[in-house]
Amino acid sequence: MAEELGHRHRGGAEARLGVKTLLLDVVVGGLTTGGIYALVALGLNLQYGLMRVLNVAHGEFLMLGAYLTYALHTGWGVNPLLTLLITGPTAFAVGLALHRLLYARLLEGDAPESIESRSLLLSFGLMFVLQNAALLLWSADLRGYSYLAIPLRGLGTVFPANRVLAAAIALALGLAFYAYLRLSLTGKAVRALMQEPEGARLVGIQTARIHALCFGIGIAMSAVTGSLVSMLFELTPFIGLPYTVTALVVVILGGLGNMLGCLAAGLLLGLVETAGVYLASSDIRLISSYAVLSLILILRPSGLFGR
Amino acid sequence: MAARLGWAALGAALVVAPQVLGPYYRSLALAILADVALAVAWAFFSGPTRYLSLATGAFFGAGAYTTAVVLGRLPWPLPVLAAAAVAAAMALLVGTLALRLRGPYFAVFTFGLAELAKHTLIWFETSITGTVGRLLLSPPGPVALYYTVLAVAALAVTTAVALPRSRWGVALIGIGADEERAETLGIDTTRVKIGVFALSAAFMGAIGGAMAPRWTYLDPQVFNPLVSFQTVIMALLGGPASVAGPILGAVFLGLLSEILLVKFRYLYMLTLGLVLIVVVLVLPGGLAGLVRRRRPACGSPRATL
Repeated sequence: MAEELGHRHRGGAEARLGVKTLLLDVVVGGLTTGGIYALVALGLNLQYGLMRVLNVAHGEFLMLGAYLTYALHTGWGVNPLLTLLITGPTAFAVGLALHRLLYARLLEGDAPESIESRSLLLSFGLMFVLQNAALLLWSADLRGYSYLAIPLRGLGTVFPANRVLAAAIALALGLAFYAYLRLSLTGKAVRALMQEPEGARLVGIQTARIHALCFGIGIAMSAVTGSLVSMLFELTPFIGLPYTVTALVVVILGGLGNMLGCLAAGLLLGLVETAGVYLASSDIRLISSYAVLSLILILRPSGLFGR
Repeated sequence: MAARLGWAALGAALVVAPQVLGPYYRSLALAILADVALAVAWAFFSGPTRYLSLATGAFFGAGAYTTAVVLGRLPWPLPVLAAAAVAAAMALLVGTLALRLRGPYFAVFTFGLAELAKHTLIWFETSITGTVGRLLLSPPGPVALYYTVLAVAALAVTTAVALPRSRWGVALIGIGADEERAETLGIDTTRVKIGVFALSAAFMGAIGGAMAPRWTYLDPQVFNPLVSFQTVIMALLGGPASVAGPILGAVFLGLLSEILLVKFRYLYMLTLGLVLIVVVLVLPGGLAGLVRRRRPACGSPRATL
């Protein structure tokens, strides 16, 4: 890598400065995308780890969260940051409703393998419905707004303020979620259900309630991430699926049901991808995430940090 | 006997159809026959084994692209055979890698396949050959295309009827019921799975190859995940356990897409999603062959653990 960079920045002191700036750029960019990846993936991981529901419509909730923020900001002039307080609870309520209407019926009484394939099909159906509803509502045109696109100077380089903010919020939310799982009584119940569903039921943990709660939380996290994404990038109704795939890669990298591994894998993937985009080109990105996904599935189905 | 007469009458009607029908209805019949072939080919593998394959779009795309490359260099039916061969080869490779995965992993892997193929092809064409897409010059006439697709569909239906009566068909049901038990009983599960997966892919590739000349221009977007989903929904809607199920599902969705797809594309796809949700929740009977774990395939209801 040093050789490669040396080629781009010839000359002594200038090269060192160039390398330093580039590294900082990659780290800040990588932490932003990585934080976003980790946050989407945590929600997906929670749903799969707990209920064996592989929600491929997960990215669509990110897309809807992004559009909700866009609509509130451009329509009513609501500060995008404040919209997090709207997208989060709204998505949580939607998640509760979806669990009640669709998934709860599947989760009761069927064999695990049957639940997995049926809930997968259900999620695919949901993905079609949500994506095309968004297309009917907002059309396929690019939408976007500019928020905090001001430069912050520091450490000898320039960072866009919105990226730094999004990275900070994403990381804070990710860690808060982890702490919640680790420290609260509900979090303990969730972990118990993940490890030993039968035993958890025996000691009086209400499975259906925890399932609904976690479904809601997962979807809320995806939608909130969408609000952050809308501050940084332009939107189309198609942005959901790539995030779903990335989240799958992260979840599988980090190990199913392993939240800390998931956070780490998200950040790692963000950094690697950002570095890759700097060094190679951006159209390699999608290919590489599918290729990484396929390779991990074949070689290490339990994940890099798997148990 | 009545059923057999019905099938014969249907077959005769389909053979005569292009002489009688106008161009619009002929092309509609062609599209529905292609859907029938895809759904039947999907169901004879995924139905008994319960491996939820979303690779149809990838095999269809591979077949279509093969035709685009060889059309004009080979006389007509040969590009379709080449398309089938390429798709089957792809399935052998993918099957060797992926058929070890079970449950949602297999579905996710095969779903990624169409996207992976599409983006790899886009990357290849933009950065190496420098031209994206291909023109299909001197395609065969519409009636020739109709008979090609009809032949592929008929062959797919025949295979689907014959397979369950063969040793391999029984082995497939055994794999779906309990793969480990089937293996213990001496079935070479890997060979059977990969073999039938490739056979099913060959039909999908052949349909891709036969449908390609309808478009004069083809680009990597032909690797369309929608094809995968449509196929699954058709088969599940009808019920993949029988041969008639996927056929009915394909005819129903084929007509629906004809009415909605061109004018109301998003509405059509939204409806497709709703149909899938309703089928999964309300019509588990349609899902019988794919989803019910360890049920009467072996005749012992007590095995439902």
